[in-house]
Amino acid sequence: MVAIEDIRSRAKELLEGGMVRAVLGFRRSSAGLLAEPTFVVASEDVASLVWDATCVHNLALYLVNEKKRQKAERTPDTRPLAIIAKGCDSRAINVLLQENHVAREEVVILGVSCEGGGVVDTRKLADALRGKEAASAVCDDTGKVKVATASGEVTFPAADVLADRCLECTIAYPSVSDTMFGEKVDERGFTARFAAVKSIAAMSEQERSAFWDGHFERCIRCYACRAVCPMCYCDECVVDSTSFIVSPMTTAEEKANRIRWIQRSTTPADNAMYHMVRAMHLAGRCIDCAECERVCPVNIPLRLLNTSLEQEALEMFEYTPGMDPAQPSLISSFRDDDPNDFIR
Amino acid sequence: MSEVLETPVQAKKEAQEFEPKIVAFLCKWCSSAGSDLAGVSRLQYPPNAVPIQVMCSGSVSPLYILSAFNKGADGVLVSGCHPGDCHYLKGNFFARRRIYLVQKLLKFIGLEPDRFRMSWVSAAEGTKYAQVVADFVKDIKALGPQRKLKARN
Amino acid sequence: METILKKERLSEWVAQIGARATVFAPAFADGIWNFCAVAADTKVEFDHGNTVRPAKGFVFPQREVLYRFRQESGKAPELMETLPAAAPTVVFGVRPCDGRAMVRNDKVFTCGFNDPYYQARRDQVVFVGLACSEPPSQNCFCLSVGGSPHSEDGLDVLMTELDGRYHVKAITAKGREIVEGAAALLDKAQAADGKAAAKAHADADKHPQRALATMEKVAAGLKEHFDSPKWDELARACIGCGACTYLCPSCHCFDINDEITSNVPLTGERVRTWDNCQFPDFTMHSSGHNPRHDTGARLRQRVSHKLLYFVENHNIQQCTGCGRCISHCPVGIDIVRVATEVSGQ
Repeated sequence: MVAIEDIRSRAKELLEGGMVRAVLGFRRSSAGLLAEPTFVVASEDVASLVWDATCVHNLALYLVNEKKRQKAERTPDTRPLAIIAKGCDSRAINVLLQENHVAREEVVILGVSCEGGGVVDTRKLADALRGKEAASAVCDDTGKVKVATASGEVTFPAADVLADRCLECTIAYPSVSDTMFGEKVDERGFTARFAAVKSIAAMSEQERSAFWDGHFERCIRCYACRAVCPMCYCDECVVDSTSFIVSPMTTAEEKANRIRWIQRSTTPADNAMYHMVRAMHLAGRCIDCAECERVCPVNIPLRLLNTSLEQEALEMFEYTPGMDPAQPSLISSFRDDDPNDFIR
Repeated sequence: MSEVLETPVQAKKEAQEFEPKIVAFLCKWCSSAGSDLAGVSRLQYPPNAVPIQVMCSGSVSPLYILSAFNKGADGVLVSGCHPGDCHYLKGNFFARRRIYLVQKLLKFIGLEPDRFRMSWVSAAEGTKYAQVVADFVKDIKALGPQRKLKARN
Repeated sequence: METILKKERLSEWVAQIGARATVFAPAFADGIWNFCAVAADTKVEFDHGNTVRPAKGFVFPQREVLYRFRQESGKAPELMETLPAAAPTVVFGVRPCDGRAMVRNDKVFTCGFNDPYYQARRDQVVFVGLACSEPPSQNCFCLSVGGSPHSEDGLDVLMTELDGRYHVKAITAKGREIVEGAAALLDKAQAADGKAAAKAHADADKHPQRALATMEKVAAGLKEHFDSPKWDELARACIGCGACTYLCPSCHCFDINDEITSNVPLTGERVRTWDNCQFPDFTMHSSGHNPRHDTGARLRQRVSHKLLYFVENHNIQQCTGCGRCISHCPVGIDIVRVATEVSGQ
């Protein structure tokens, strides 16, 4: 278990030395159990940083958002941003580096290994607690999660309350970092990789079809999945109703004739279109932080779509996203012996 | 796109037998020429496929494929030059990888795999093009209309 | 009109109403609580927190067709009316915060101008409320925004859970109709029952909740600190999704689009869909200029609309304290904390 004091003292050094413009980490939230992202700017505020099983967010997202924010500032602070990154988050940073969306010198990575643990899934936790509210959740080294409630402490086996992606995770330590906290643990002994996606693939075609129809029908298109995804950084998305990229040269005709690939209406078919497009766009880029699934207010198992393609990429093309910023991307590369037998 | 889809098979809509609508994205250099050859050779094959000429099979975005289904296509065909014959040297290799993933994703959400197909058809293969379309139409007829991704109205 | 319903007869009552109307009740499906249509002979029990999606969808659905159109080339367009043929609907288990939100939605859609689509649905729906015996969520703050766990505003019937039975109070004419229609199932409430319900309500009020300063103080504070740098600071973590507003029981902004189904002849529908002030395209001008260009400005709009502008226009807060926007925010942005910190209370 990584001690928060170590992270705090490194954050303090960075801030006091003026080496970074902010340290992006986690702090307690007034909204509930989960920690919330925080930008620590003053070195005396590092005490607010926390590290436990409730630090679920993939903070790599803010490298993208801060870039947009800085663009709008007249005199942006160009010092790097320090960021606390778990294994999955660091892979997201690698993909952003690979796509030249951020430069390595723009970020100081405080990598934190999840070691033998991970982060909690609040829905699983709510089930396990049967209505009681959790006040804190800490993962220990023995694969147990200690949860404090108003009526005392309860201990659950990790498999009961950790997020699926953590149970299936095989690389729970940072792939890229400037300072690393914690040990690299390779033997985690939870679930096999791709267990969830395999169980869906094993269904009959009709079952699978009905399964997804039921889920897509519920979508309210709040786009939380898109907004929370560090890889969804396009200036303009096919589902947006207007063009964001407008220059003084853009004619009224061009604006009016913008193709509406997907209607704003939340019909099952249009919802399915949206999720399909997003899944395709994330093929070979999704690093399985599963934030899309976590933030979905109506509980659509979005992670499955992305991991199904991740599995294909691994098994057919031996491609793992986010491991090496120098590797060519899945979609912009090919091999002569790629599968060909599906083509007539 | 809806406009393109409606015209050639609209008249048959009333017919008792289900006539599938197929959108065929054909690369300009091989498959489109192949379909032309099928035409000038007076080969008989079903008229269900609406050809859309693209510059390269590698330029077919997954969005086009999904959108074709959304606008009411019962099947979508992407056809390009044989590997090694691409006019742009490697466009069809990119297409192959991408289309493979699209196909797997569509299968994963429960769309019948027979509704989406890729083929290599060269400019000399008029007969092959006719055969590919004939097979496709036959398979889709067995499946019936596509409703999963079709917009409600 | 006050009556008593034995708990074991709840399903019977629901089934009886189901013969004449579509009945919805909270159900736990796919990992969330939602209002689901009750099929015949389903057992209905109330042990829900608050539903993820609010009750507003029954009167203001996410997608509403306003009319259909068709135009042959060179001719005048034909318009076809599509007023909803709303079927009688009874919604059980509505929490008082959602009921109070309905009063706010009525102000928007029926005061001054009467929106026929909204009204057609509103006329046909009966909201049967369920008083909260304890806060269904840790982010509840109805008491701070003028409500209560047993508020009757906007509801047609209010049910209060007592020991083994429900105290059922009809509030409106629509409510009396469904209560009187079930005279065989519902017993007349005695004075003791009324007292027991009052005690249950008083007990519910005692549960601690999130706290916000008074309406006047918050509104004055927000007005004074319109240009506060706090907005940007608090919204720095905002990811710009629309969960907060789509899940809000009183958010009512919409967009209108033409959905073209065929170009020749030009055929399609004019459709109204929910819109969301947290999306950048909400205020995007066709010139490319966006007056609310960042998440700080959008957060200010959302919070100020609820707690300042609505107060100025209608003298009530629009927020009813259900806490959904707090619980479902992906990054923990908390309207109570934001309003408190910005308004300096």
